[in-house]
Amino acid sequence: MKTPKKKTAESPYSWLEVDRKKCSRCSLCVEMCPMDVLRMGEEKVPCMRYPDDCWYCDVCVSICPKKAITLKGLPYLIR
Amino acid sequence: MLHVKKADIVIIGGGAAGAMAAIHARRANPALKVVILDKSRIETSGGAGRGMDAINTIPLPPYSDPEDFVEMQTKITEGILDQEVSYVYGERCPRLVQELEEITGRAKGDLFPVDERGNYQLRYVQAVNKPMMLYMDGGDLKRSLAKAVHATGAEVYDRTPVLKIFAGDGRVVGVLGFNIRTGEYLFIAAKAVCLTAGPAGRMGLANSGYLSNTYEFPGNSGDGYTLAYEAGAELVNMECYQALTMLKDFQGPACGYVAGTRGAKSTNRVGEGIGTHAYPSGDTRLATWRTFAEGKGPIYLHTDRLPEEVIRIIEHIQFGTERTGRYLFHKGRKQDYRQPKCLELAFAEEIGACGGHSSSGVNGNRRGETNIPGLFVAGDVDAGLPFSFLGGALAMGGLIGEEAARYAAEADWAGGNPRSRAREEIRDFEAPLRRKQGLPAHLVEFKARTRLQYYLKPPKNPEYHRIAVWWMERIRREDLPEIKAENYHDLLKAYEIRSILLVGEMMARASLFREESRWGYQHWRVDFPEKQREWDGAWVVVRKGEKGMELGKKKVPPYRRNFPTSMEYSYPKLSFDLGVLFQKAPHYQNPMGDPWTKARMEKRGRAGRKEGG
Repeated sequence: MKTPKKKTAESPYSWLEVDRKKCSRCSLCVEMCPMDVLRMGEEKVPCMRYPDDCWYCDVCVSICPKKAITLKGLPYLIR
Repeated sequence: MLHVKKADIVIIGGGAAGAMAAIHARRANPALKVVILDKSRIETSGGAGRGMDAINTIPLPPYSDPEDFVEMQTKITEGILDQEVSYVYGERCPRLVQELEEITGRAKGDLFPVDERGNYQLRYVQAVNKPMMLYMDGGDLKRSLAKAVHATGAEVYDRTPVLKIFAGDGRVVGVLGFNIRTGEYLFIAAKAVCLTAGPAGRMGLANSGYLSNTYEFPGNSGDGYTLAYEAGAELVNMECYQALTMLKDFQGPACGYVAGTRGAKSTNRVGEGIGTHAYPSGDTRLATWRTFAEGKGPIYLHTDRLPEEVIRIIEHIQFGTERTGRYLFHKGRKQDYRQPKCLELAFAEEIGACGGHSSSGVNGNRRGETNIPGLFVAGDVDAGLPFSFLGGALAMGGLIGEEAARYAAEADWAGGNPRSRAREEIRDFEAPLRRKQGLPAHLVEFKARTRLQYYLKPPKNPEYHRIAVWWMERIRREDLPEIKAENYHDLLKAYEIRSILLVGEMMARASLFREESRWGYQHWRVDFPEKQREWDGAWVVVRKGEKGMELGKKKVPPYRRNFPTSMEYSYPKLSFDLGVLFQKAPHYQNPMGDPWTKARMEKRGRAGRKEGG
């Protein structure tokens, strides 16, 4: 049996991908997400904390000054 | 912790209307302290948060004027409007366009298109034959507005939804806000309050079952309606439901405006066009309902027949402003706008209430005043300027900023100490956090919204509307006291459900009160399937009474011009020939009762309903 991973702020169900090399940890995406979905997670990189509130508006991607964020897809129920 | 502050003007909601209210209030009187409270971040909040590609309804010279706009509004509201508000809006439009260019720092011809004569280039989309739609390269509109708000010196509190508007002695006294990141409370005593908190956009739940699968910004859960109602304000047209044609599953705009105004056509499965115009008025909605009822769905928006150049323009807009997740939506389904039947549209998957996309909300007059002195309203929570989209929010937002500034300069500070009332509110609000266990907020929301969608969806069945009221009351009584919140984010969700239930009840009760049909699909009652003369020029008013929700009838102000108040449609006669499904056959008659089970029950000595099953 695998050892459970250490609990983090990140939801295991997420469609946000952050390039850790590009991300400057500025947290602008966390501040600007209109639905309060994001939080800073492991290694102070943004993650989806409340994925079910995502309106797939893409603000996080468009606002990132380092172009470090990509959305892999949309919420499962509407894909 | 409860912080106490004072401000001349408090603005609830920093969307398009709220941002403009702040800018205009400070400009009108720089001596006034102006505060904005926003549930989200003013840079990205509200329907225009990610950007906007057009102002759908804006009369501009020399191609259209305020008279044209009022004629159009009178027609699509079927006479249920305050024409004076529409005139005021029409008159402010030319200035609005210039102001937006100034705020965004964009030259004429850059933010909005101009024609070879130097006039703003308008397109046709409305229910009258006048052009009133203006394209816009507005991907960063909200960022520009936010910058302008900060530059005015207005104080901004982001992530701070308002929980209560306090009114006393017949006027507003202040507001209570809560910061969902820090958990701190903020009571602000205010002379004037501008309510710009958006529509009730999280009501009926779309078929996908995803709670944030909403056309409106999902943060707009109808709190503005609830805040106004609780403070004693009058709401009107709650029975004129928002019911839109959407891109199936995406719940984003069907792009009838983006693609339709650039040459794309939509048809049903058998190739018939739907409606005569793209405006979201009752007649086009009725035609849309009918096509689905006839089994001719789905409706497709055909982009594959357009020239490549036009397809690229549509992609540029759809994937570049508003909700750019649309690109991923199509990509995930391996869809391309060059393919036939790529854009499947659905209808009325989420019933809601909105001033800007319909005509429901707080009853604001030509100055944005409500029946409560000091409370002003604009944007999607305002019913004063129906079907007016972003343009209405921007222009009337600016107007109420000026009016609130004038009012606040002359008003005194209200007496009394509402702090103890604020503490009561806080105790109720925090209750879900204090519970050790209970219902997750998302489950309660799912239950409320599925019930709303099922029972409220037109054609309106009065019995179903009564059942909807029963559900809202039941969930309020039994489930709200059981919600458990794990953190402040959850706590806000629990709070928002209160608004969803209350607005749902307003919609159902107002629909039952208006004993006629009007606005095509939007208020089509199967038991009163015609327009009734006694309801001409009359609102249904919803307000909070001593014993609960009160409804009344109120005449709209006299018209300045007698434009036509009807549209060309008639309600379908629901008399389908349903055929013969079962042959008539004799049925065996079973005897009443069941002696065998009764004997077994008596033998066990456990008579009674408990065991009876």
